[in-house]
Amino acid sequence: MGAYIVRRLWQMVPTMLGVVLLVFFLFNWVGGDPAYVLAGKISNQEQIDNIRRQLGVDQPYWVQLGIFLKQIVTADFGASWSTNERVSHIMMTRLGPSLTVLVPLLFLTTLISIGLALAVAYVRGSFTDRMVMIVCTVGLSISILVYIIVFQYVFAYKLGWFPVQGWGDSFVENLFVYAALPILIALVVSIAPNLRLYRTFVLDEINQDYVRTARAKGVSENRIMWIHVLRNASIPIITFLMAELPGLLLGSFLIERFFSIPGIGREVILAVERSDFPVIKAITVYVAFATIATNLLADLTYKAVDPRVQLK
Amino acid sequence: MRAMRRYEAEPRRPGARPRAVRVAAVAAFAAFGAMFVLTPAHAADPSKVIRHVFPAAETGFDPAGVQDLYSATIEQMLFETLLTYDYLARPAKLVPLTAEAMPVVTDGGKTYTVRIRKGIHFIDDPVFKGRKRELTAVDYAYSLKRLVDPKLRSPWAWLIEGKIVGLDEVAEAAKASGNFDYDAKVAGIETPDRYTLRIRLKEPDYNLPYILAHEPTSAVAREVIEAYRDVGGRAMANPVGTGAYKLKQWVRSSKIILEANPDFRGFTWDFKSDDPDDQPLIAAMKGKKMPQAGRIEVSIIEEDQARLLAFQNGELDLMDLGGPLAPNVLDGGKLKPEFVKKGVKLSRIVDPALSYVYWNLQDPIVGGLTKDKIALRRAMAMAYNVDDEVRVVRNGQAIEAHYPIPPGVVGHDPKHRSSLKFDPAAANQLLDAVGYKKGPDGWRNLPDGKPFTIRYASRPDSLGRQLDELWKKALDSISVRMEVQKDKFPELLKLERQCKLMMRTASWIADYPDADNFMQLLYGKNIGQNNNGCAKIPEYDKLYEQTTRMPPSPERDRLYHEMTRLIEVYAPWRLDVLTYRNMLVSPRVQGYKKHPILHAEWQFVDIGKPVAGVPRAAGGKAVPD
Repeated sequence: MGAYIVRRLWQMVPTMLGVVLLVFFLFNWVGGDPAYVLAGKISNQEQIDNIRRQLGVDQPYWVQLGIFLKQIVTADFGASWSTNERVSHIMMTRLGPSLTVLVPLLFLTTLISIGLALAVAYVRGSFTDRMVMIVCTVGLSISILVYIIVFQYVFAYKLGWFPVQGWGDSFVENLFVYAALPILIALVVSIAPNLRLYRTFVLDEINQDYVRTARAKGVSENRIMWIHVLRNASIPIITFLMAELPGLLLGSFLIERFFSIPGIGREVILAVERSDFPVIKAITVYVAFATIATNLLADLTYKAVDPRVQLK
Repeated sequence: MRAMRRYEAEPRRPGARPRAVRVAAVAAFAAFGAMFVLTPAHAADPSKVIRHVFPAAETGFDPAGVQDLYSATIEQMLFETLLTYDYLARPAKLVPLTAEAMPVVTDGGKTYTVRIRKGIHFIDDPVFKGRKRELTAVDYAYSLKRLVDPKLRSPWAWLIEGKIVGLDEVAEAAKASGNFDYDAKVAGIETPDRYTLRIRLKEPDYNLPYILAHEPTSAVAREVIEAYRDVGGRAMANPVGTGAYKLKQWVRSSKIILEANPDFRGFTWDFKSDDPDDQPLIAAMKGKKMPQAGRIEVSIIEEDQARLLAFQNGELDLMDLGGPLAPNVLDGGKLKPEFVKKGVKLSRIVDPALSYVYWNLQDPIVGGLTKDKIALRRAMAMAYNVDDEVRVVRNGQAIEAHYPIPPGVVGHDPKHRSSLKFDPAAANQLLDAVGYKKGPDGWRNLPDGKPFTIRYASRPDSLGRQLDELWKKALDSISVRMEVQKDKFPELLKLERQCKLMMRTASWIADYPDADNFMQLLYGKNIGQNNNGCAKIPEYDKLYEQTTRMPPSPERDRLYHEMTRLIEVYAPWRLDVLTYRNMLVSPRVQGYKKHPILHAEWQFVDIGKPVAGVPRAAGGKAVPD
């Protein structure tokens, strides 16, 4: 196990290098020169050169790349080009609001989707199963933008059940007042695809011989579904869930923009709009790292869930 | 550098009406005295809350360091400039703020002397170690020097660069040493006593008072900056000023809460106006001690729908409507009945900003001052229907610009009508006459028979795409090939400054309400800076240089008319549109009128108290007093 983990950690290095090179060259290719915006309405070439010098974008590419690598190693990405706020402070302060929305969302989506998947798989082929699948397909076909606009108008403005937008100072207020509608919308959007996917995983298991054997032995249907079937269906579910986890770092930028939630997703959009490379660099690297780390975590979890899995 | 070049080109003429300027200054002070009457203490009521919204995020609160509108709006509440604008006077009129009176101008318009009012204090801050810190002339001197500190890379350096005697030399020395010596003697910035600031210019500049009313020149305390500055020398997150409000809470890109400054001196509302529409406002506000609102809550809501719903839901008191939302709220220039029924008010002005299309006068296809090139630009200008843009792109929230100086700016002429009108038939005739004949493919060729294509540059956003389509339609109507050049804004700016774009729609918003701020956009010596069409028209440049040595006057206006005619004749620009700013005002707000230059009017208005028991942050409904 230890050797496996060390080997996987080593494998992260070339992957991260690939990400770093991709981000670096993409930004320098399409990102534009921020000095011309930062220089203000009226500026001369000398001032623009001064800004480029201070930002370090006048350096040869290999020097800039070296600085980027050093920033990754030291986990110090400097300060935002547009606000001078430390990137580490940006990450720390914006992550909280994003997680306030996304952690309960992930938890609720997973629980509800698994429960519903087991239920509809159990009655597969029935009218209920067909109706649920039709609703899921329709739900999948509608853009999240439509959900946001309609729910915000109906539940916040017309019915007044939630505030239209905003973010408060206390965690409890944010979770139960401001994050409630965004979570509801994201829940509605995410349950449909998750339910369809998880139902497939469960159906793959429900026809296996061990289920028939369990029934023959008189094991209760509840135990068969919640213990035997769910345990075997959990490996693809874990794979899917682990792939979702890095998304927590990115936030949900549409939800955050429409509901004025000061999260990391909104910050990403701002950084792109402002060509704020230090922020873009930091977030990309953290997301890449989280993706690789969660992949490793998923592999380790397989082993914990199913002892037959061999880590090589 | 712009101004320095301007003055190098034309030697100064001493003795430019100092007496007239002094008389004007005294008159302005007298008028001010009637409006801004000092009161012993501020009257802000903590339960009176104004809730405002920004459609984009702020960046920080260092007057020398930020350039976005929303940060500047907050700065106007936190910091104070020497001068400001009268709330109701139109066109905008300067009045003293922390100055005792308007500057005394001597030495032929080259020396400005300002006396600062005594007894104004910065808000309390640990940096001051428990002592009250009085505002002095040295603070303004320090703040001016900061603008040219190379380390700070202020976007506002151009306001004073090349203008003040001895300042550029200190800035040059800083470039060499890496440190700006704020203690170095600058001959052009003197503080002969604690409350007197004397600025000596290299050449007369009648716009200096406007610059002294511009928020980048607001007073900051040196010890505060030195305590809180970041590696770039900016104190973006610790604003300590003398303004009517102080920063209570700041959640970046989300929420800004201001609280009334308890030490603010306050004033009695006594503004005057001849406009009949202002009389109810004056009757409601006259005699009130200001500011009334004890708290300002600013939310940053980027999405149009969320912003409008929040306003309709009673979560906001003031909101800039913006063009895309206009059809939801306005019927032409008026509020829809459902909004009127709710008591919502509209304060509508034409922004002191100009949108224009420029052609690069150094471009081999569209540039130059020969007859055929001028004809090509004029034909393109005449093929474009601004009415379509107003209707389709601007949702009716704009009007065609006929004069390069927009309304609300000194020098504007509302009667002028551009001779370049939409007339595709005349445009086709003009091209035929100068030899742009159609080829077998139906497209016109150059007079020498070679094919050509116009490249219209625009941003990859919805406005850019709509303008692409309108210009394509226009140039199709005169059989001129057009292709679109898409690039990100920073890249467009870069190419523009290098004179590498062929044509683009650009805009300019007034930094100060004087014609010079707009007419300098075509001055030949500003190529590479803000003359984005790289125009160099000798007749225009000669007239422009004359205007820079003149104070606002009918004589200067006459020259601006001549320059405007040159723009129409040579067609370096096609004047495009002037946009409306529509401010939605909730029934709770009293005394609101959008000012063309000031970013926020919070200290001039009154507001009803929220309904008891309804949490403010949850956007509780509120009713008028």
